[in-house]
Amino acid sequence: MQILEQVQDLPKAGNIKAQWVCLWSGPAVGLVLLVALLAFPGFWPPISPTLPAEEVARFYAENTAWIRFSQVTFNLCGIMVVPFFMVIVAQMKRMHGQSHVFAYCYLTALVSGATFFALSNIFFLVAAFRPERDPELTMLLNDLAWIVFIAPIGMVLCQFLLLAVAVKFDHATDRNGAAAIFPRWVGHYSLVTGLAMIPSACAAVFQTGPLAWDGLLSFWLRNGAFAAFMIVMFFVLRTAVLRQAVDDGVIADPEARLGASATR
Amino acid sequence: MSILSPDRYITRADKSPAGRPDVRLVTWFFPVWYAAFGVIICLLARVTPPPRPDVSAADKVAFMTTHALTIQVGFVVLLILLGGAGMTNALVAYQMSRMSTGPVLAYAYIGGMGVGALPGFLLVSVCFLTATFRPDRDPELIGLLYDLGMLSYNGSLGCFSAAYLVLAIAVLYDKNEIFPKWFAYLSIWQIVTEVIATQMFVFPAGPFAWNGSISFWVAVVVFSVWLGSLIFILRNTAAREPVDTDETFQGPTAG
Repeated sequence: MQILEQVQDLPKAGNIKAQWVCLWSGPAVGLVLLVALLAFPGFWPPISPTLPAEEVARFYAENTAWIRFSQVTFNLCGIMVVPFFMVIVAQMKRMHGQSHVFAYCYLTALVSGATFFALSNIFFLVAAFRPERDPELTMLLNDLAWIVFIAPIGMVLCQFLLLAVAVKFDHATDRNGAAAIFPRWVGHYSLVTGLAMIPSACAAVFQTGPLAWDGLLSFWLRNGAFAAFMIVMFFVLRTAVLRQAVDDGVIADPEARLGASATR
Repeated sequence: MSILSPDRYITRADKSPAGRPDVRLVTWFFPVWYAAFGVIICLLARVTPPPRPDVSAADKVAFMTTHALTIQVGFVVLLILLGGAGMTNALVAYQMSRMSTGPVLAYAYIGGMGVGALPGFLLVSVCFLTATFRPDRDPELIGLLYDLGMLSYNGSLGCFSAAYLVLAIAVLYDKNEIFPKWFAYLSIWQIVTEVIATQMFVFPAGPFAWNGSISFWVAVVVFSVWLGSLIFILRNTAAREPVDTDETFQGPTAG
């Protein structure tokens, strides 16, 4: 991204630069989190909720180093995805035909949801801190960690629903010629991703089957859908921020330049 | 009382205090709240400097019973005052939103700090209060609450690191000179201490433990310098803020 020299001291250029940094923090942090995800022995396969206390304690005793490494990485870098989501907030605030209320709802939902995530890795880490603890207590910490990690999806659900509604409203008022901020399919995709989160709330109840925290719906569908959404949104947001930069006159319009060279 | 006399304020030519009155009020609240917070965590609740990690469950019970009264007084007061943390963070976010980088990074700062309130402050309060609530509980359970409280309080790292990171980026990119540039580098040092502090999850004793000379004391020194600087920076930038323009209120709609 090449910011035009004549506008580089203006707030609109600063705004674009801030969004651009936040946008690219997404893949950088995502890569680190992917490493942590692969390194956590409790995910491959996910620890079964039916494991007896002694087995859980043995899991923490035998895999202490990798559990610590991966969960410390989640602790240190997990919340660093927040700036990436702030680009969504910033773009939601630009949508036509609506106040900023959806964007602010999205912001509060994000912060509350991220708090649960921050809590879960503390439980994992306390369990791994003293693997020699009474196995019943290690199991208690393990249960808390998993239930807090998987089950409280109400906040992320709200995020996806709010984005879907905001895109819907944005498109509905698109008669005045201004282009919608996100393509229409983003709203539907967000809605579907939100629906994919719902079953995992049952992970706090079921110990076996697809709804258990190691199950097809609660673990693989929930986390897979979330990761896929982040990847897709990176490209959607990249396009949106670039278009904002062109509209605000912060960068040169690549299409205009292409057109100019074609006529020459 | 000289610190409260009018000539200690930064004043305009007509002797009225500089800056917006509402921002000035919150800017004064900032050091007052941190002073109260410091008294609670250092003198009353005894979580800073932290009690030792390398002790037996019986020693942890002894810690809870010896300091039961001050822990209860301190943390109950903190439960009442905790909302002030939100106000201090919001003040920083407000000043960030005046920077030329716009509101995106300010929201991210609110996000990171908002996440930190629960694992970073509230969880240790309820863990220690629950432990002192029934000190005759099984010592293993008191030990669990002690570990959980200490590791969440000292070991919630990423939420604050994310906030320091966006603060540093905002200050470095800002063209409005709201905060001095050196404060960005100081904030990056805060992240360095958080990265070092990850080792507390591995070492129950020594310099990298949660009460260790590197994990804890270096972090305390850096944090004190950071916080002290922030108090003066907030005061100066609040005094420099133009009063008669309403440009900050147009900010959100302008994007």
